[in-house]
Amino acid sequence: MKAGRREPNVIPGFGITLGFTTFFLSAIVLIPLSALVLKAGGMDFSRFVEVITSPRALASYRLSFGASMLAAAINMVFGFALAWTLVRYDFPGRKFVDAIIDMPFALPTAVSGIALTAVFAGNGWIGQYLEPLGIRVAYTWIGITVALTLIGMPFVVRTVQPAIQEVQRDLEDAAETLGAGRFYVFRRIIVPTVLPALLTGFTLAFARAVGEYGSVIFIAGNMPMKTEITPYLIVIKLEEFDYAGAAALGVVMLAISFVMLLAINLLQVWGRKRMLVSR
Amino acid sequence: MSIALDQVTKRYQDQPVVNDVSIEVGEGEFFVLLGPSGSGKSTLLRAIAGLTGIDHGRISLHGRDVTHVRARDRGVGLVFQNYALFRHMTVADNIEFALRVRRMKRADRVARRKELLKLVALEGLDERLPGQLSGGQQQRVAVARALAHKPQVLLLDEPFGALDAKIREELRRTIRSVQRELGITTVLVTHDQEEAFALADTIGVMNHGRLLEVGHPHDLYAQPATRFVATFLGAANLLLARQSADGIRFGATPVNAEGSERVQAGREHEVVAVLRPEEVELAAAREQLSSNFIARGAVEEVAFTGALERLRVRLLDEPSAAQLLGSGSAAEARVEVTRTQPERRSLPLSAGMQVALGARRLHVLPTPISSFLACAPTESEAELLSREPLLESLSTRMKTRVATRAIDGLGDSPVPFAGVAAIAAGDNAATTVEWLLEHGAAEVLVLPRQAPSPTRVYIHWTDEGVRRATLAVSASLLRHVSAEAVYLGIVPEGAQGTGRAAPMRQLLDARSEAQTVHNLEMRTELAIGETVTEITRNLSAGTAQMLVLGITDIHQAGTAYRSLLAAQPGWPVLIVYRPGESRIRPEIAA
Repeated sequence: MKAGRREPNVIPGFGITLGFTTFFLSAIVLIPLSALVLKAGGMDFSRFVEVITSPRALASYRLSFGASMLAAAINMVFGFALAWTLVRYDFPGRKFVDAIIDMPFALPTAVSGIALTAVFAGNGWIGQYLEPLGIRVAYTWIGITVALTLIGMPFVVRTVQPAIQEVQRDLEDAAETLGAGRFYVFRRIIVPTVLPALLTGFTLAFARAVGEYGSVIFIAGNMPMKTEITPYLIVIKLEEFDYAGAAALGVVMLAISFVMLLAINLLQVWGRKRMLVSR
Repeated sequence: MSIALDQVTKRYQDQPVVNDVSIEVGEGEFFVLLGPSGSGKSTLLRAIAGLTGIDHGRISLHGRDVTHVRARDRGVGLVFQNYALFRHMTVADNIEFALRVRRMKRADRVARRKELLKLVALEGLDERLPGQLSGGQQQRVAVARALAHKPQVLLLDEPFGALDAKIREELRRTIRSVQRELGITTVLVTHDQEEAFALADTIGVMNHGRLLEVGHPHDLYAQPATRFVATFLGAANLLLARQSADGIRFGATPVNAEGSERVQAGREHEVVAVLRPEEVELAAAREQLSSNFIARGAVEEVAFTGALERLRVRLLDEPSAAQLLGSGSAAEARVEVTRTQPERRSLPLSAGMQVALGARRLHVLPTPISSFLACAPTESEAELLSREPLLESLSTRMKTRVATRAIDGLGDSPVPFAGVAAIAAGDNAATTVEWLLEHGAAEVLVLPRQAPSPTRVYIHWTDEGVRRATLAVSASLLRHVSAEAVYLGIVPEGAQGTGRAAPMRQLLDARSEAQTVHNLEMRTELAIGETVTEITRNLSAGTAQMLVLGITDIHQAGTAYRSLLAAQPGWPVLIVYRPGESRIRPEIAA
């Protein structure tokens, strides 16, 4: 800050921009979150614990965070493959595929939910073939994971794409002349180089999935203890006018999300430190 | 042979980027592939490494045919311009990469790594990450990494490109000493001639995908065979001189020149001569020159560059100025001169002063295509013809000029024709060709309108007596266009016994002569049938084809081959004429 004041910067107005940043962050993020905590603080502690540790709530956490984690992990693998294909190969319709990746960004989540339900329901296009095999997708945790995978996919692809572009062919060529096979090159050269971006993509997809509501509620079926995600539970509390209970669940989500994101970020910092020394 | 490339060709979208290249690199030799960007040198290096497949030819390393062997099994070490170090690994891990892949024991790995780091003078930096090293150090690591698995061949792709001058020199020395110490066969690719001179045992110069010349650095500099090599390796003034049995003249003045070939008495050739800037002598007056006077000039520009002084001198004598190549018009003819400090002190010069120029040493290029002369009935048509795209691109690439001449009426010509005469294709072409050949022209290029640059050149001659000349002209042409050369041998239909064997033998002779004498890689095709029909059939088979036709009888052009010179469908035909006695005349090689 001192340096910023003494030396004239290329872009003027450090004070104004910092002020605006603080204001914006407060108004949009921090104040509502504090309100949430305050609201939850309105109830006494034993009641708070009772709400957040009720079996139904615990089951919903498991489902919400578990399915989100699984969906983000699936995205990490297949999103990487998608991004790789888009960067490395030239095929007819590549631009088109590239554009379609962003569809889940733009689609109202309820629409994707309805669409997925229609496809995966017992009598849907895909559901009717899975049903005889004993695989039920709609109204189970599998359906939830499918929905969360769909909405998280563009996050992984879009963050990993530039990173793959940066992996110089020369690196692979060098490894090859040194005697490495394809899998070895992938494991030892490509993955470590792309890993930071892959983690970022994972984080974004996970964060998005945890907060997802619209696309899940249609395909989930919302059976208590089985296919009920935490955001849905919060909505139920609201409909019962139990604002404090809703806030309590919100605080729990906030805490878990924060801890997980922090952990992933630390992991990234550790990974970056090895990669980004100068250059 | 440590590395042997045999007729290696690589095409991208049908365009040959590496065109019929054959190289042999001896054990422990430091071979430098030199060429401008886009000349195909890097592609060739990648092909040796196995990172790029080839469309034609064979590659062998130490006698083992590796054409279809994967890069990782070829046992080569490759160093890239941008280092290509694994940035997430320490120096130690980078160097040990090839050893880990081979599952070498840890103790052995460490020992080998220490040895390599010592070799490239980077001891103690084992645990650094590439990002913490300077550019020069990173490239040293890359060299060490490439040598870790004890490759039999070391390949370097512009390894100094990203470094500044001082570090570049230092690293150059390191690489040279490492190469000597290990005695490893090395191929380095560069566009920097200074680098090539500093490092190479042998230099191969590439342009447009072709390997033009291979030789010892000094020989290539002093006696280049092609104008590209003459101008790419150091600066060169190119002059058009005339060579006869008596010697070489520049304008009206005789000059002493090296590399002059015997010329048959009574005939005169136009030749291209190389005058290196340091071989130009400047004096205040003609009498004070110790070498042969070539022209008078006015100093236009003097630049001090440390050890040497660079001057640009405009030639004042109109006829000799017109004989200087590489400048647009005669009025712009400039000779580049460099002088050492003692020379400068003995005759200080500044812009505007008049001087006499002498040539201490002139090297005559053994190239049969010296310049072009566009001939048409009127001057304006000749002018139009001289701007034909193919002619323009040829003259630009050959760094020569296109003069024009009106030849109305085909009467007697007062001035003998010099260089390659160019005429428009058409019904009268055959008659004009005969007339030109009678009046001293030795090569005539018959051009259809808007002919594209050829991608395939067919070569055929009617008589073995003109083989050498046709090959020499073809080689000179093909050095400047990226086309593939195909010799078309034709067996008359129904030929038996010797009638069949002779064309076969000619075909084999042709190929080996093209290769050994002219350094021209050429395919051969054998057709059975009537000559003109077969030539026409082959020319019609593709879009951008061209024909080089050697004849010994002037009237062949107007009779048998008349149909090839028509405007429609029309192919560029380069007629090479040598009279019958050329059988005994030693034709200028390459």
